[in-house]
Amino acid sequence: MKRRSFLKGTLATGAAAVAVNAGLLTPSTVLADWNKKAFDAKKVDDALNGMYGTASATASGDITLKAPAIAENGAVTPITIDASKMKGVESISIVASKNPMPLVCEYSFASAAEGYVSTRIKMGETQNVVAIVKAGGKLYKAEQEVKVTIGGCGG
Amino acid sequence: MSIKIRMRGKSKGGIAEVKALIKHPMESGARMNKKTGKPYPANYINVVEVLVNGTKAIDAQWSGAVSANPYLGVKVKANKGDKVTLNVASNIGDKGTDSITLK
Repeated sequence: MKRRSFLKGTLATGAAAVAVNAGLLTPSTVLADWNKKAFDAKKVDDALNGMYGTASATASGDITLKAPAIAENGAVTPITIDASKMKGVESISIVASKNPMPLVCEYSFASAAEGYVSTRIKMGETQNVVAIVKAGGKLYKAEQEVKVTIGGCGG
Repeated sequence: MSIKIRMRGKSKGGIAEVKALIKHPMESGARMNKKTGKPYPANYINVVEVLVNGTKAIDAQWSGAVSANPYLGVKVKANKGDKVTLNVASNIGDKGTDSITLK
């Protein structure tokens, strides 16, 4: 399938998807717990402490953080983090430093996964996006400023 | 209510890039309803997992700051013919699942 038709089909949520997901399928495994403390934190350090038990991260050039320099719509900011150059990546988090609740998402990886995440996040104002990568028991980070012209939190 | 997911994936050299689009409002609980002056109740996907042939590869936790109709792009070690499953659950208990066989 071509990317274009995939996107179109998804936006319309094709009839096939509706049929497949009509409540017949429920996840077979128990889903993991949600770290309320880390996600409710109002400060970056508190969020990282809640998630990883420490807030000190070393800047690393091995993390590729792809984010737009200017986000026209803060509600949909595409972010890609590629840490596959690093060995033993255990977890990747995305932190929007000035959002009301800075921790956006956290991905933890088993051995069958590569240290790569691509997603879209909401950003309230112009701020730094921080990629936190946990590899070999240590925290590493990469930062980039994203200018937001229309905020995407509340309002 | 079940959450609708569209996903696809392709394996190249033992690494498969899996992409998924999930249909969900991702209401953070902070957005105000201007008519009533009260916030819209929070309703967002907070737990996501990716399985390869039934074995967990990625566990993710999301907040309400992930965009509406979330896009998920991840890479897993898997070959053509392997089965990749995506399970999601929201803070109000809605669940969704989809799986594909890698090309």
